[in-house]
Amino acid sequence: MSVIAPNFKFSEFVKSILDNVFWILLIFVLIGLPAVFIILFYIEMPVINGELLTPFLALTWLADPSRTLPILKAFMTTDLFRIAAFPGFGFAALLAAGTIFIERKMLAKLQLRVGPFYCGKIEGILQLMGDGLKLISKEIIIPAKADKPIFWAAPIIFVATAAAFVALIPVAPGWVVADVDVGLLAVFAIIGFFPIITILSAWSSNSKFPFIGGIRALHQMVSFEIPLILSLLGVVILTGTLNLSEIVASQSNFPWIIFLPIGAIIFFITILAELERIPFDLPEAESEIVAGWLTEFSGMIYGLVQLGTYLKLYAFAALFVVLFLGGWSGPMIWPPFPEEIITDGIVMGPITAKIPGLPVFSQEMLNGVLWFVIKTVGVIFFILLPRGVFPRIRIDMLLSLGWYKLIGLAFVNIFIALGLLYAGVLGPGGIL
Amino acid sequence: MADAVFLALSVITIGSAIAALELRSLIYGSIALMGTLGGIAGFFLLLDSPFVAMFQLAVYVGSIAVLILFTVMLVKRELIFKKIEDKRRKFVGIALMLVFMVALGSVIMNSGIKTITTDEPAVDFRDIGADFLTYYWPALILMALILTGSVTGALILARREDVENEQRTD
Repeated sequence: MSVIAPNFKFSEFVKSILDNVFWILLIFVLIGLPAVFIILFYIEMPVINGELLTPFLALTWLADPSRTLPILKAFMTTDLFRIAAFPGFGFAALLAAGTIFIERKMLAKLQLRVGPFYCGKIEGILQLMGDGLKLISKEIIIPAKADKPIFWAAPIIFVATAAAFVALIPVAPGWVVADVDVGLLAVFAIIGFFPIITILSAWSSNSKFPFIGGIRALHQMVSFEIPLILSLLGVVILTGTLNLSEIVASQSNFPWIIFLPIGAIIFFITILAELERIPFDLPEAESEIVAGWLTEFSGMIYGLVQLGTYLKLYAFAALFVVLFLGGWSGPMIWPPFPEEIITDGIVMGPITAKIPGLPVFSQEMLNGVLWFVIKTVGVIFFILLPRGVFPRIRIDMLLSLGWYKLIGLAFVNIFIALGLLYAGVLGPGGIL
Repeated sequence: MADAVFLALSVITIGSAIAALELRSLIYGSIALMGTLGGIAGFFLLLDSPFVAMFQLAVYVGSIAVLILFTVMLVKRELIFKKIEDKRRKFVGIALMLVFMVALGSVIMNSGIKTITTDEPAVDFRDIGADFLTYYWPALILMALILTGSVTGALILARREDVENEQRTD
């Protein structure tokens, strides 16, 4: 007789498990398999090893390991993979999660604390997972007089907008979700959505502190968008294109930060303001207005807003890398894929495993991703660093900085770019 | 495909325009206005001119809608808006709109729009820029002067004279 479950009978336990297995199998056979095949019939299937992958062969990768890699490679060329996994959302979310942990740990070290320590054996490395589980399991509390549709929709739209921003970033040659001709303009258009979402969510929670925070965020974002756009025009003038991939390709010899350091500095400061990071974190000033426009969020809604914020941070850092630091370009440091594995297969004593479809990624792509990630992590580090160093500044100082100094400096930057262009040094047809 | 997208965009644009006029809540009205402006950006995308579409999004949704939202939020509705509701006004307004639509539509239909070939490649935005700098340069200069004037005026208006100099620490 158990104390926890007094009516427990082993035979009934086994019966319930068998019951569940029966129903799962029945539902899978009657509904699941037909659904999978209907979906597979409508998806355009790739050609693997010279034969078309029909839906009837679609699950053969489970039985035949030599078909796994080609099918995987064919899957990696699809739009779904690009949007959900590699240059898009999954990659960015991974970097964003890393950023959160590094930020907490680094800030603690700067302030002579230990930071996350107990969760996980080594230096609290599982803290993030614990926080995520906690946020998922917590109740979502909505204020009684809140405007519910906007309150629910705002965090989701925030994450969606941040993901749309991420989709425009080219990570390696040819590896970009949306390679549009007007990429930089699309970035400007997307940045314009953030203040709307912020102010709407702040208003919808029907509370004082979020509203003050939202108004501050609106002031700050709208006034720093102008120097942000102006500071990037120098790069556009010199490259003669708005496509982000072409802008990266134009920096194969030298990054633009060498010639446009003023623009890079202005862009960096405006990044800090757009991301509401210290010293410009007035919208979330926790010593004045609780948590600013995030005050009323709880549970996974708060988690979504945080995810969106850090996706945005990654996207802005990546944009800085793309525009000023040369994106994926860098010396080739990734070792080439060993030839004998492609020709002979992997030889382990008497066994030889020939794996068709190797290498999965080209050497250029891996090298490009490596350089891109190194540079992006460096920029993210410099975005995080002021949080441990600077105090918060006043709103009037912020606005005068944005409207007087940064816009003036941005025009100086544009004139430098124009001078370089008309002197024939850089730009289309320049000597360098 | 394009027809279905066109129909969906038309429904979104016109529907949210009507909603922007008719909704009681000013906030929802301005959200509906954003829907209208975004729908127009969608039309530009459908017409193979992403340059104009992105500017539509950046300027109208990103700036003007924000300004409207900002004003709406900081204003007490009851103080400025008196309820002038009148069935007759409404019908006269709808009739006026119909007259305008018919007139504009007949003008557009007679303007030779039917003879445009639609399978030509989209105009590159670099050509638009080149046109602006060569043939249309007086218009560009005029626009630049107007914009500079308005930015300078905004900066002067934003200056506060009542703040003492000791309070400015920067």
